[in-house]
Amino acid sequence: MDFEPRYTQEQEEFRQEVREWLKDNVSPDISHPADSAKSGPEQYDLRRDLGRRLGSKGWLWATAPEEYGGGGLSLDHAVVLEEEVDSYGLTIPPYYDSGGRLGGASIMVWGSEEQKQEFLPKIFRGEVRTWQLLTEPEAGSDVASVKTRAERNGDEYVINGQKVFVGSDLGCDYMWTLTCTDNEAPRHQNLGWFMIPADLPGITVQPMDLLIAGGESGAGSGVKNTVYFDNVRVPAFNLVGGENEGWKVATTHLELEHGSGGRIGRNWMVDNLFDYCRKTNRRGEPLTKDPDVRDRLIDIYMEAEVARLFNLRNYWMRHSKTNLTYEGPQASYFRKMSGLRMSTAILDILGPSALTHDETWGAGNGHMESHQRSAIVAIHPGGTADIQKVIMARRIGIGREVRERAGALA
Amino acid sequence: MDLALTPEQEMLKSAVRGFIQQEYPKNVLLEMAESGDAVPSEPWQKLVETGWMGILIPQEFGGEGGSFTDAGVMFEELGRGPVPGPHISSSVLSAFAIMAGGSDVQKREWLPAIARGERLLVPAVTEADYSWHPEDVHAVARSNGSGVQVDGVKVYVFDATFATHLLCAVRSENGNDVGLVMVPADSPGVSVRPLEGFGWNLAEVRLENVSVDPSNVLGGSIAGGWSALIQGIGNTIPILCAYQVGACQAVYEMSVEYSRTRVQFGTPIGRFQRVQDHIINLVNQLDAARWTTYETLWKMDAGREATDSIHLAKAVGSTAYHEACNFAHEVHAGVGSMTEYGLTLHTAASRTLYHYLGEPRVHKRLLADTLGL
Ligand SMILES: Cc1cc2nc3c(=O)[nH]c(=O)nc-3n(C[C@H](O)[C@H](O)[C@H](O)COP(=O)(O)OP(=O)(O)OC[C@H]3O[C@@H](n4cnc5c(N)ncnc54)[C@H](O)[C@@H]3O)c2cc1C
Repeated sequence: MDFEPRYTQEQEEFRQEVREWLKDNVSPDISHPADSAKSGPEQYDLRRDLGRRLGSKGWLWATAPEEYGGGGLSLDHAVVLEEEVDSYGLTIPPYYDSGGRLGGASIMVWGSEEQKQEFLPKIFRGEVRTWQLLTEPEAGSDVASVKTRAERNGDEYVINGQKVFVGSDLGCDYMWTLTCTDNEAPRHQNLGWFMIPADLPGITVQPMDLLIAGGESGAGSGVKNTVYFDNVRVPAFNLVGGENEGWKVATTHLELEHGSGGRIGRNWMVDNLFDYCRKTNRRGEPLTKDPDVRDRLIDIYMEAEVARLFNLRNYWMRHSKTNLTYEGPQASYFRKMSGLRMSTAILDILGPSALTHDETWGAGNGHMESHQRSAIVAIHPGGTADIQKVIMARRIGIGREVRERAGALA
Repeated sequence: MDLALTPEQEMLKSAVRGFIQQEYPKNVLLEMAESGDAVPSEPWQKLVETGWMGILIPQEFGGEGGSFTDAGVMFEELGRGPVPGPHISSSVLSAFAIMAGGSDVQKREWLPAIARGERLLVPAVTEADYSWHPEDVHAVARSNGSGVQVDGVKVYVFDATFATHLLCAVRSENGNDVGLVMVPADSPGVSVRPLEGFGWNLAEVRLENVSVDPSNVLGGSIAGGWSALIQGIGNTIPILCAYQVGACQAVYEMSVEYSRTRVQFGTPIGRFQRVQDHIINLVNQLDAARWTTYETLWKMDAGREATDSIHLAKAVGSTAYHEACNFAHEVHAGVGSMTEYGLTLHTAASRTLYHYLGEPRVHKRLLADTLGL
């Protein structure tokens, strides 16, 4: 076993190249407010601009095939890119986008050659931003029961319905979505998966007022919307996977969203909190010297370590093509619940300074306050914590008669 | 990065698993638990003959010179039993203490004998004020003429009933140092009394006017012995953790199987989300133990600073085994509490290993110190 990423000579050379490039291309004006909902259009534009630059180098979706606008690079290169971009406090992409990781990955698996040529280069080059539209008022956890109707009419589908809790601030170029293409067909055989241009007539986006803060990297992402489809005419070409075949397409992005992708890296919130407790005195002593505080801090640390290792394991399993069963939803469940427990511990240790982002009285430049909110809301996206357990049980082979298999990732 | 075992480790794993299935089936384990005779038994003799007890002992001292990960793979399989006997206590902890603090002569004398299972050297550390701190060691070693006289009462000593020799933590006559003395278990004045109840192979060891040869003082002097023990414990914890991982895995498999086959209200109980919760909690504990352990084993082999990982792995791993058994009892209800079913073998082991080499609370505190909090 070897838990450490090893860097080859080639990677180290690539790292130099990336470093040089980032120095010239990451704008010094990019900022990182504790609550990403607070950064406006200027920040978004800066980040989109960086995304396009990365995209034109093939560094936005480095491992995606070159013929579809990706970088055609190895995972080794992608790791280096992620690490270097991370040192700027940024992610790839540096803004909220559901195109490359989830939508694009699904099109890669299920799209026709023409569809790949049409959609993927725009996504992989960072020319477009894409939202994910699954949830509806009556279809949350039970996403297969979506009612948004897509009816064939000549070379087009006519779409009517409503999606909730979707997208971000500041609009998008494409929306990918799951609709009902057949009212009569049995469950899972009645769905259609569409890639929809956001500027089609009949689409209305209305922001929702939610508790959320940040959570998804980048400017203006702490915002979710209701999207209405009112007789929206979408070219039949944009149906991916075929009529009534939408569920199989969904299994790919649902699998990815349930944490199977894995990641390398640690939870900086723990470091921030340790730091804060070292520097903050109570009754003349740093908080870290209070036995109760130490105890809570260590509990947090231990959970963060376990979460890190679950993510690392999944990352390795995915990239070594080891069969995943329950591991994706396990990592997701653990991350969600330990995040919530961490927020309780933070409130307990810091007191009300964790409840305000006031410049004078809020702890940790507002990061603690934003964590208090985001930890609650993070339980739900991508399947609630309990739904992660439902999926785990199926994968373990106890939830259903037939053991469920993980969705196709390639 | 590569989290897979090597082909050799995979072979070792299946060899040990096959051996355990063959030699330590449930009825044998239950009989051993009933009689307390894990060591004179045939399976133990065969286990010793495999040479696996010397897996961590260097080749120059008659062992196999395996890596921590090799040993982890092997002990994980023993944990599935759970196979009793002084494998961890003698061939890992005592062997490491000798490697850390023994003289060359002592290493040559003891390590090959431990590797061959001829000497079962079991550490006897804790006393009435149960702890793994040197302050709580009150047993004394006095010099009497040409020899050393040992007196004291060791309590909650894991595996003592199997010992041919006891590696006793003792205080020096002047009270300043705590070190280790190898005491033959059949010396006059030594008595070992099993502590009956829910413990797993726990015993009281009385040492009254016990005379030992000065060559049995580890490293030739009481001073320095304690740090050899601490070093030994640090090296042993990852192996103990691997044992706990195997144990959790067995408890998990047992519970999944039961929830698939036990039918109530006309459906397998695994269909009930309350039951699924128990299984999921169990597998989360199992995997937390597994990956904290594996990373620690890797750090040991790679020569990385591993102190934080060792404390993390013990705190997570011992909690995991304890909790895994609790969840398994929830899944099994009545059947789980029947001795003959086999779950209680693990339940009992999990409680004793919870404390062995320090309970989670202690290791959390040590982790906080290590992290500089
Ligand atoms: C911050 C945020 C971002 C989001 N982003 C997006 C997005 O980008 N795109 C998008 O499409 N959606 C998004 N969502 C929606 C999210 O996917 C849903 O909120 C989620 O799937 C749960 O659906 P629901 O809220 O309707 O809850 P419900 O499904 O009504 O669940 C209510 C409760 O019932 C439980 N429950 C439901 N079914 C079961 C079951 N079978 N077994 C046990 N318990 C069950 C749930 O766990 C939960 O506790 C987002 C939500 C949030 C809060």
